[in-house]
Formats: sequence, structure tokens, C-alpha cells
Amino acid sequence: MKIRFWGVRGSIPAPGPETNRYGGNTSCVSVTTATGGLIIIDMGTGLMHLGNSLMAGAFGKGAGRASILLSHTHWDHIQGLGFFAPVFISGNQFTVWGPGPYGSAGMLEEILEGQMDPNFSPLQSLKNFSAVFDVRAVEPGTAFEAEGLRVTARAHPHGATTALAFRIEEHGRSFVYASDVGQPVPDAPPPADAIAFYRDADVLLHDTTYRPSDQETRRNRGFSTYEDAAAVAAAAKVKRLVTFHYDQDYTDDDVDQLVAACRATLDAHGGADIEIVPAREGDELEI
Amino acid sequence: MKVRFWGVRGSIPVPGRATNRYGGNTSCVEVRPKNAPPIIIDAGTGLRRLGKSLMEEAFGEGKGKASILISHTHWDHVQGLPFFSPLYRAGNEVDIFARQRDLHLEAVFSAQNRAPYFPVPLTAMEAEMRFHELIEGARFEIGNAKVSCTRLNHPWIAIAYRVDVDGASVVYCSDTAPFTDVLLGEKFVHRAPSLDEPLPADVAAELATMRAGVIALAKDADLLIYDTQFSKAEYRQRPHWGHSHPDDAIAIAREAGAKILCLFHHAPLRSDDENDQILATYRDVVTAQHEKFDLISAYEGLEITLGDA
Repeated sequence: MKIRFWGVRGSIPAPGPETNRYGGNTSCVSVTTATGGLIIIDMGTGLMHLGNSLMAGAFGKGAGRASILLSHTHWDHIQGLGFFAPVFISGNQFTVWGPGPYGSAGMLEEILEGQMDPNFSPLQSLKNFSAVFDVRAVEPGTAFEAEGLRVTARAHPHGATTALAFRIEEHGRSFVYASDVGQPVPDAPPPADAIAFYRDADVLLHDTTYRPSDQETRRNRGFSTYEDAAAVAAAAKVKRLVTFHYDQDYTDDDVDQLVAACRATLDAHGGADIEIVPAREGDELEI
Repeated sequence: MKVRFWGVRGSIPVPGRATNRYGGNTSCVEVRPKNAPPIIIDAGTGLRRLGKSLMEEAFGEGKGKASILISHTHWDHVQGLPFFSPLYRAGNEVDIFARQRDLHLEAVFSAQNRAPYFPVPLTAMEAEMRFHELIEGARFEIGNAKVSCTRLNHPWIAIAYRVDVDGASVVYCSDTAPFTDVLLGEKFVHRAPSLDEPLPADVAAELATMRAGVIALAKDADLLIYDTQFSKAEYRQRPHWGHSHPDDAIAIAREAGAKILCLFHHAPLRSDDENDQILATYRDVVTAQHEKFDLISAYEGLEITLGDA
């Protein structure tokens, strides 16, 4: 599978020359399967640019289909939806898998509908999409199929709520997406069930919103530091660690330092053989 | 007064190299009367940086006051609010003004800032927030500033504001379609209407009244900030989206007798070079037509001093 980063920023888009290298769009990652299937993870502002690029192919003709995996419904993970050109083309089909309150797909759809409320969006309703937009609730722990690939999900602590992490498998290779995760207890060892979920992943994309010094005042926000990410990556013996969901106030130079510090932490904690890949808008990664 | 642009983009923020010079943040303009608290127009993502800069002043000590005039609550005009640092400091006072809706204004903003969309509810923001509902045509004062407003032609309805203070005036007119082809309001318009058929008389009359209201609001304004998201050709494809183009803005500025016309609410995918080109093209138009106003284009960081500074 081929992974591409369309948005790597957390919380709110951060335009400006100081974010040119890593990018200022919020979370959106695409996974292209070996057979050409498309899985999209999260619908931050990066989704607009992914959508525009898709319009040159089958999606522009109303013959496209994709699965969308949604970690949670905070604004920075759904804001791109109303600007995703393929949903306005009749014939395209999307299956959206996300966290339904009480396991209810209807309630998840209602949350997405709330984003299109006329007070906030000129679209006024999901009903004004032309594409098929089929919303389904993920049951954490139960595998489902997206574009022919096996996907499992796990609910992670994220501040006062939870966010889903996804593990996608293809021919024995695996990609784990774990953004917006934050362990509530400082300096606690990585939780055993998270380690089990990430175990031996070829690529673990993990939340690295903060530096440890930020986390002292922001733990309740439900994000990880690069130390948290390095510790769990080493414990799970993953092959590659992708840093992701950078704080909106971090400049490119800040992210450079964060990545270097993460590298050093891996080296010092038994993860020297783990390759570190900083997520940058436009970059691709092949598994 | 000083007018400073913190976000000049429409629809959605657009980070990236192509927007470095004009800026990728959505609508936010700071009007700063002489020796008085800021009057902020719209709370797009530009508000985040404005908030940071305000924290260097009285807001950092919990002694700041600000007013925010909201044109309408579409996402690109309110997204910065939960990232406005002064709201998280007890003692600060923020007055928010917007058009009256069926739903109470505070309820609209609460819906933006709550689970499952945002982790921090309005009630957890420690500053004193007061909501003021406006009906178009309302006139009120903020300190020495006189504020007035009028209705615009936009889906779900937006309003334009005029601020008069320090012997000068600024008018903020975003988001609006021209007042010629389609009447936009609370009803969803699914498809682009035909632009070549005459409008029903009642619709034409309502649009003409709206246009007269805008011209009256902008009468002799020192600075007229106007929605020019579209080119004329783009507008013809999407007249129901509620945005205008430079030719229409020029006609409004001329009839109102504005002194400076500022192109604003740039399309998200418009690059800096394209924005340069649009400005150059329309400066030629303004010269050829012997218009009496100056034409500028808004960019992040642009600051204009008007009247007593």
C-alpha cells in the first residue's frame, strides 16, 4: 500500500511561510491499496487538496469510490468534507467508518449533518451531496473491510473523549494510524493494549503534537509528546514511526527539532532500529 | 484609527507556498480606534494570531476589552473564535455582535464549541462573553465609535458593517453576491439560476433595496472592504454561492463615493501571483474608467491608517 500525507497539522490550519515545509493543513492521509483502491483517513483541510487531485480520474466522471476512516469528529478532522469536490459528483460512492455514539451510525451521521447546519455551512445538509455517502459506525475490536483490506479499530483516550486508531492490513503488511491519542497519566508506561494493537506494524503513524515541556500544561488536551510516541513504538517493535499532528504554533524549525528529539529518544530507549519518518504534506510512503 | 488585516481568505484556510504573501487565513480585520479597545470584524482563522498579539497588551493581564462584529456564522468567519487566547483569561471582556436568528446567538456559538466538535465548551472560557443580536439597520456605539449595518445577498444572510471613529470610516462588506441575478436568503439554492432571464419584479425590487442599503452604508467611506472572491466568469458559473467580483465592487465603490476600495475574501485556490494579476488588471480598469478611488487588495499584515491615528 502507498500512504500519502495531505494534512499533518493539529487543531487548526496554520498558514504562513513558517509552515511551508511540513504543511499547515489539518489531518488527512490517503492509502492506495495494491489493487488501486482508495482509503482516506480523516477529513481535515488536507481533504480539499486530495479531492481536487482525484477529480482528474474516475471521481471526476462519477465513477469513483473510496472508504473514509474517521478517527473522531473534532472540527480539525472533518472540516475538509464540505470542500471535497468528489462528493458533489453524482455516481461517486463513499463509505464512511467512524465512531458512532453508542455504536449508532445514525448518530454519527447526525454529527456530520451538524457540521453542514445552515448556521455554519452554505451546503445546509449532507443531503445536498450528489455522491452516495454511506455512514457506518465502527465497533472497536471488530474487524471490518475497507476496499478489500482488513481494518481493525481501537478507541484511544483523547482528553475528555476518545479517538479511534485504525490498523490496516494488506498481504501481511500493516499500517497503524493513531492520531489524537493522549495518555492521561504523566510518565506512565505505554498501555499494554496499545502496544498489542501496534505490535510489529510496518508503519505506525502516531500523534506527536507536543514536546514534553508543553505537555506539563496541556495533558488534559489528550495529545502525545514525541517521548510518548517513541516509547510505545519501541515497546511495540514497529518498523517505522511517522510523527504527525504537529501543534499549530510550531514552525518548521520547531518540528525539525521535535523530530530530532524523537530520534534521540528512540535511540536511547531500545528503538534504534526504528526508522523515523516525519509526516510532511505531499510526501509518500510505500509499504 | 488603524485597520489591520489578519485574515483575507474566503471559504477555507489555505496554507502553503502559493499563499505566503497574501496569506491563507480566513476573514479577520482589526479596527483599532485611537486609544481604545479593538473592534474586530469577523472571527476567521486570522483571529488566532490577533489574539496572540493582544495577549501582549492588557489582555495578557486579564484587563482587556474587545468587540467582535460577525458578518455571519459560516465556518470561515467564526473558526478562529475558540483559538482566541484572550477568551481563556479571566477578567477579559469580549462583546460579540451578530445578526439575530431563530436560534439564540449564544446557542449558535455554543453549538460550534462543544463535544463532539470541539473539546472546550464556551462556558469553560473564562473571559466574560456577551452576545448582542442585531437586526439589519441597527445603529449602536462602541466607545466613541459609531457602528451601523445592512443586509447582504448571501445564503443564510450576512450583514455588512460600517465603523465611524476618529474622523474616518471603514465599511466591511463580505460576504455578498451582486444584487442583480439571484436573491439569496434562508432557502437553499441547489443549482445556478439562469442569468439571462429577467427577475420577478418583487425579487428585483428586494435586491435593489438591498443594493441601495449597501451604497448608503458605504457613502463616502474612507475604506470599503469588499467581497471579490470570484472573477466575473466564475461568478457567472456560481451566482448562488453568494460572492461577488471586482467589476461589481468597483460599481458599488463608485456609486458610494468610497475613497479606497479593498479587494477581500480571496478564493481559496487563488495563488499570490493570480491575486497580483487581478489587482494589476483592475488598477488598469480603474484608471481607464477615471474612477475617483484607489484600488488595493487585502493581504495579511496590511495596516491602513485613516483619520486621526
